[in-house]
Amino acid sequence: MTEYSAAAEKKSPRPEVPVQLIVFRLGNEEYGIRIEQVKEVTVTPEIARMPKTPRFVKGIANLRGDIIAIIDLEERFRLRRADQPLPLQTFTLAIEARDYTIGILVREVPQPISIPASSIEQAPDFIQDINIHDKYIEGIARVDNRIIIVLDMLKLLTPGEIMQLRPKATSSATAERK
Amino acid sequence: MKSREQEYRELFMAEALEAYDAMSQHISVLEKRPDDEAALHELFRLMHNLKANARAIGFAEIGEVAHRMETIFGEIRSKQRIFAGSLVPVLFAGVDAIGEMIRAVGANQTLPNSSVLLENLDRVMRGEEPLLDSAQAAPSDEDANRKLELSDLVYIPIKKLDHLLNLVGELIIDRDRVLTLSQEIGNLGLSNVAAHLSRLADDLQYSVMDARLVGVGTLFNKFPRVVRDVATAEQKQVELTISGQDIQIDRNILQIITDALLHLVRNAIGHGIETPEERTRAGKSPLGHLTLSAQTERDDVLIRIIDDGRGIDVERVRRKAVARGQLPADVAARLTDAEVYSLMFEAGFSTAEQVTEISGRGVGLDVVKLAIDSLGGQVRVDSQMGQGTTFTLVLPTSIAVKGALLFQLEEHSYALPLMHTDSVVSLRPEQLHAVGGMLLAKVQEEHIPVVKLAELLDDSDEPLQPADREALMGRQDIIITSYNGRKLGLIVDQFLRQQDIVIKPVSQPLDMIDLFGGVTLLGSGQVCLVLDVPALTRLFIARRP
Repeated sequence: MTEYSAAAEKKSPRPEVPVQLIVFRLGNEEYGIRIEQVKEVTVTPEIARMPKTPRFVKGIANLRGDIIAIIDLEERFRLRRADQPLPLQTFTLAIEARDYTIGILVREVPQPISIPASSIEQAPDFIQDINIHDKYIEGIARVDNRIIIVLDMLKLLTPGEIMQLRPKATSSATAERK
Repeated sequence: MKSREQEYRELFMAEALEAYDAMSQHISVLEKRPDDEAALHELFRLMHNLKANARAIGFAEIGEVAHRMETIFGEIRSKQRIFAGSLVPVLFAGVDAIGEMIRAVGANQTLPNSSVLLENLDRVMRGEEPLLDSAQAAPSDEDANRKLELSDLVYIPIKKLDHLLNLVGELIIDRDRVLTLSQEIGNLGLSNVAAHLSRLADDLQYSVMDARLVGVGTLFNKFPRVVRDVATAEQKQVELTISGQDIQIDRNILQIITDALLHLVRNAIGHGIETPEERTRAGKSPLGHLTLSAQTERDDVLIRIIDDGRGIDVERVRRKAVARGQLPADVAARLTDAEVYSLMFEAGFSTAEQVTEISGRGVGLDVVKLAIDSLGGQVRVDSQMGQGTTFTLVLPTSIAVKGALLFQLEEHSYALPLMHTDSVVSLRPEQLHAVGGMLLAKVQEEHIPVVKLAELLDDSDEPLQPADREALMGRQDIIITSYNGRKLGLIVDQFLRQQDIVIKPVSQPLDMIDLFGGVTLLGSGQVCLVLDVPALTRLFIARRP
């Protein structure tokens, strides 16, 4: 940890509040969400597919009496090849979006890490190379040799984003798949 | 069971005592700040309500006092008088007298004489000096030692009851879950506890639902005034008959249908009942009759709005629908009366050629339809030219629990509310006919379009592929749904069972999809989508091959 604090001290003289992230893997990259946005992590419950929703919306599930939508970000951002099915057991991150809770499907158990806030940098230009559009990215965290893309969940989980609603599209919910 | 009169009396007591407490409080405020507008306004309102309630239940004496007090407070409010001088003790005496009279009602005693007070109130109203004796000028010992009373009834905001009902809904789901698990585990002790839990949960559910029930009369009793006003504005003579005020229904359901009922009553007077001259010419009594009735039928409540007016002109509705481009003339000509009536519920439909103050303001029966749909209810129309029209609203008694048919489709369970289920049939492919790319089933002398639900629900919004009877293998389980007089058969994989379900709304953001009225949790913990038949019917019409 010494090297981060050294880096941090250069920027601000006061001791820095660490940022806690929940880190998970999508495709070949690591992504992080601020821990305050994560309500809980659980083994994915049984999902009922909901017809007439975009494909990456896997369906709805019963999470302790709350019925929440579960989405697959790998499918949303095309991070997984079609020949890579989901394993039998997956995990769900329940995320608090603005007005509702939503589940995000991940393949491996997500890990919490604590990093100084200063190690999250503004997303640089090379972000165009990766598949997630930069407007959802809060920043890039460098930890050891890892690069963690910190997502802005509130932007990613607006109703319009999830339902793939686009202005002018007549049948927007299905447009993505055609 | 308490008599209705007793129940009304208790309600009156509860409201009146509360009003009395509020009056005492506000008049004390007024004593300190004689021009406090909020207090004046409240006093005026409280007097007005008390007057109306007291008169309605037959305590004219309370009404008389409240009426005079209301007038005086009204004049103070409009600055014609000031709250000062000899008027003050009279008003205080008035509030005290109201309190005494209310307590007398509660104790079933004869009401104290209020003639001196009334005389003084009249004097104040005429601008004369009231006759004050010393006992009235200074509060007596009796007043100072007055007992404090609490009402036997509590008011509960409906939100709290809603919350309670939601919790009970969750409990019912868990109860089913526990029952299923206890059967699987097979432990005797567990089974006994589960059975007991189940009975308790049932009782609790029943009690909470019961606490939310109100008499239909609470809504119906507002209509004599409405009918009078509308009839006067439309220059018609209408006599209103009300029946079934005692029928109990969930308070929120009554709330949701309020506008619909108002609309139907206005329509019945505006469009249905003729003017006295027209009626006389048609050989009817010049006095039109309108009936509001409620009755229970199985678990449903039927509310009828019956008029003896001119009836619905089916041909005119047809012409209007064609003129609006709702459907081609040749199709319109073939529709049955019932199908023609259902056209009237489409948005923007109105046969009234003149816009009057009361009816025909551009809002149509579609408002009624939407309200009833949101409850999972049905609207039926019967009409005879020249004899009148009856609208029947079929409503659930309670919002929480609905009968539903459970079925399986592509390894998932779905539920369909019984309210929209007409029948279930199991047919061999040769009993179905492909006509114009659409499958038709003949059920009870009626040709009903049939569609594979899986195809209807697929991701495409394109028209469905023409149906191929050869592709159907073996017996087909078909649920015949009915919405707005339109029937539709849905081919599902397998019927499961009939069950009472607790419907939870679909959470955001998926609530944008209107095909699902909600979700329910099955005893197994499985999530089960509840299909919305109105939306499903619309989808079918849009995708018809």
